[in-house]
Amino acid sequence: MTLPSERTLPRLFLILLLAVLALAGWQWRDGAPLSANLMELVPGTAPDALELRAEQRMQEPLNREMLVLVGHTDRQQAVAMAQKLGEQWQASGLFEKVQWTLQADLPALRTQLLQGRLAMLSATDRQQLIEHPDAFIQQRVQTLFDPFTGFSLVPSQDDWLGLTGRIQNSQPQHGSVQLDIGSGALVADADGKSWVLLRARTTGNAFDMNLPLQVAALLKHSREEAAQSDAQLLAASGLLYAANGQQQATREMTWVGGGATVGILLLLLLAFRRWRVLLAFVPVLVGMLFGAVACVALFGHMHVLTLVLGSSLIGVAVDYPLHYLSKSWSLKPWHSWPALRLTLPGLTLSLITSCIGYLALAWTPFPALTQIAVFSAAGLLGAYLSAVCLLPALLKGADLRPARWPLRVSEYLLDRREALLRIASTPVLLALLIAFCVGGLLQLDSKNDIRQWVGAPQQLTDEAQTIARITGYQPTSQFFLVRAANQQQLLERQTALSERLDQLVNLDKLQGYLSLNQLVSQPSEQRHVREALSKLPAFWQPLLEVGVPVEALKTELATLQALPVEDIDSALTGPLAEPYRALWLGPTEDGVAAMVSLQGLNNPALLRVQALDLPGVELVDRLGELNNVFAKTQISAAELKLASCVLIVLVLILPFGLGGALRIVALPLLAALCSLASLGWLGQPLTLFSLFGLLLVTAISVDYAILMREQVGGAAVSLLGTLLAALTTWLSFGLLAVSSTPAVSNFGLSVSLGLAFSFLLAPWAGRQVHVATVAESAA
Amino acid sequence: MMFSLPPVGAGLPAMVVNDNAGRLKPRGVLRFLASKLAPTVFCVLLVIPGLAQAFDLQQLSDQLAKPDVIHGRFVQEKHLRALPQPLTSKGTFVLAKNHGLLWLLKTPLQQDYRITAKGIARRDANGWQMLPGKSAGAEQNRLFLAVLQGDSSGLQRDFELSLSGDAQNWNLALTPRSLLLKQVFNRINITGGELVSTIELLETQGDSTLLRMQDSTSSQPLSDAEQHDFAE
Repeated sequence: MTLPSERTLPRLFLILLLAVLALAGWQWRDGAPLSANLMELVPGTAPDALELRAEQRMQEPLNREMLVLVGHTDRQQAVAMAQKLGEQWQASGLFEKVQWTLQADLPALRTQLLQGRLAMLSATDRQQLIEHPDAFIQQRVQTLFDPFTGFSLVPSQDDWLGLTGRIQNSQPQHGSVQLDIGSGALVADADGKSWVLLRARTTGNAFDMNLPLQVAALLKHSREEAAQSDAQLLAASGLLYAANGQQQATREMTWVGGGATVGILLLLLLAFRRWRVLLAFVPVLVGMLFGAVACVALFGHMHVLTLVLGSSLIGVAVDYPLHYLSKSWSLKPWHSWPALRLTLPGLTLSLITSCIGYLALAWTPFPALTQIAVFSAAGLLGAYLSAVCLLPALLKGADLRPARWPLRVSEYLLDRREALLRIASTPVLLALLIAFCVGGLLQLDSKNDIRQWVGAPQQLTDEAQTIARITGYQPTSQFFLVRAANQQQLLERQTALSERLDQLVNLDKLQGYLSLNQLVSQPSEQRHVREALSKLPAFWQPLLEVGVPVEALKTELATLQALPVEDIDSALTGPLAEPYRALWLGPTEDGVAAMVSLQGLNNPALLRVQALDLPGVELVDRLGELNNVFAKTQISAAELKLASCVLIVLVLILPFGLGGALRIVALPLLAALCSLASLGWLGQPLTLFSLFGLLLVTAISVDYAILMREQVGGAAVSLLGTLLAALTTWLSFGLLAVSSTPAVSNFGLSVSLGLAFSFLLAPWAGRQVHVATVAESAA
Repeated sequence: MMFSLPPVGAGLPAMVVNDNAGRLKPRGVLRFLASKLAPTVFCVLLVIPGLAQAFDLQQLSDQLAKPDVIHGRFVQEKHLRALPQPLTSKGTFVLAKNHGLLWLLKTPLQQDYRITAKGIARRDANGWQMLPGKSAGAEQNRLFLAVLQGDSSGLQRDFELSLSGDAQNWNLALTPRSLLLKQVFNRINITGGELVSTIELLETQGDSTLLRMQDSTSSQPLSDAEQHDFAE
């Protein structure tokens, strides 16, 4: 009963398996090639190199730094706790730098202020100096005697005109964090507590696999420790989201993968009542291995989300062995190789159609789905090969005596169907179904948002918002990218933008912004200041009257006149420039570029308008762009779905003829339509992910239609095979619905619905008489 | 809307909850030096708060906290290294325990200042104007009020105190403890008898400020005009 080829096949396959195993071992030589960087999975919106660099610059600190507020009703205790935690964290080795006090380098500050007296003067002060030099001098005299503005960093004799004092006072200040003079800590008061600011910069970034977890663990420990002293910790960092994402992915992978495995094994045992039947799980394991290896080979690593979604492959992969195992209800005695021979055409068709379905996902602009498609297609191929080449050898001589009850269940189901058909004919049922679909589709809402990709826990989000409220810092993800031919033009363009942003700030639409032109003025403005200064001797009499020696003033004026025009690079060297440094992108291919960062935005649409007619100014709004891409992809996903159906029809024409092929494809399409309608009836939104789910269902459920149409071993046995296949698939995909990541759970829900409808509709696939006859006679 | 966006993943989320603490750094110092140190230290000195540790400090503290209202004249001399003569200004002051401080500069120019719980204000043609940025510093005002009410925690923490002399003729030296303050001034010397008579501030850069309070009296209540100034 065993053909010669069936003797060599297992050996050949084992050689292939060993080779793949070796490749896997090599891929994992430096630890798991896993990635948790969500940005890798969202579609690139094709930004140019500069935009990409700007974006990375803005994100870099977010993925490496953690901001913590240590709160206590007593300020001293809050400071003490911050100090204690700061020391502990520094000692933990996880952080490159932990900072809770302000180390101000006053001499460096003085130097920068003196050096920048022309360049750093604010627009208001500049205007006064140029237009009202008398008032300028009068104000200076006042400050000399004002006991409340007496402390200037730069002593009066180095700056008789008080330019540094003006620069000091005009520095933009947002937020409500204050300096505690005794400890040097930065403190904000809110909610009846003093909150001390602690910043930590990690050695690696949020996408290292272990670091986020370690940081999260340390934070948890610190929280408990703080709680013992009645102190409260609030923390915000990209690392915490990464840690949470990882933990969640691991948890869900365990639940989905473990749940599906246990469920499927139980089902196998209950149905076939032989321990050996558990070998049917071998193709699943091989499939996972092939999928992982292909994924790492193609992409260099595998994303954790791929692993979560990929674990649902278990349910599909186990279908291959089920195809011929379920023949044991009709084939008596059952032998592995003949059973395989009998079902091989169906298996192969099923592999092709499923692969078409999965690979259709690869054509979407989502790297995430491309990865999942590759993982699944390779996994299915591996599962198919092992089911065809290896498993029959392993099951050789197995004496399957399946339980009778599953067959009775499916016979009962078929009886019910007959009974139903006697009451209402197929066209009537179809009409009813279409009515159901129309009703549901009318209620269907579409919703797409990048937020669906992550189940961000409420606690993390709340804390981040509390920190934003307490400190007054509400950074936004959007920023402006300003390009120009040279520095003068760049600063001009930034000034034009600043004027508009100032209006938004005045209207409370924006809390603030940071732009290089706040640090250094245009070279032309610096020259204006210098000219205005040369006219000052005509107005400085009041200073002489209070006792400032004229010689000192003259010397100072000469020094000021000799100050060079400061460019952006030199302005960025001093300590005051620290916040601005990241904004400067420097020379580019066609000039220079810089960013303008924003704080506390409440209407992104307003921003876009600001940049409209400003040359060289561009708003970079990655989140907004992503959401747009999502909406657009939804349409292309629907087109892909139809295209994949056409392809499947073409494949099926050969064995089933055009009519049969159309009928087989029409059923999954109808099932998909019903699932959409169900989403509408259930009040669930249609997301990109539900659409992707349905795309997949079409491919999988073509299988059921084929199975039913072939009717190897009779309608009841075929329905039973379909039922088992649907159950196993549902066990793995359905479990995805419990995921706390909205995207994943949406995917799971739509696949589950699709599977249920596919199963219900499968008996309408008709009967392919000749195929079954040929196959059975071959057996 | 984006600022309230629930953070996303590892990269996106952080976009939303960035920390800009770094941006505070030098500016924090500047602001602090410009607006906080001067009035705080200045007012700390006018009313030496409860110095609870030693008996004599406590005594001094009690002695100074007694009067409700102090009227007096002041002479402020700013000794700058580069000037042979100090910059001298004169005027009067009113310190009211439950209200705050009025600082009325008369020569060489006329300018009125007021420090209350609400912040520092300056009088111009349109009446009292809160100084921008300084009215917002809630912490600074809290500290100032604490000082007026004899709360020593701030002072004891930030300064080393040493007292000599007797109740009729005492001398109190304040040496800054914190690194930041040490970079700004070396010492503050305060002398007095029943009331404070001189305050001397020695800056690290070599400049110094000498404040002399003259003809201080605690016998006169707040006039209507002064009450009005505090109330406005």
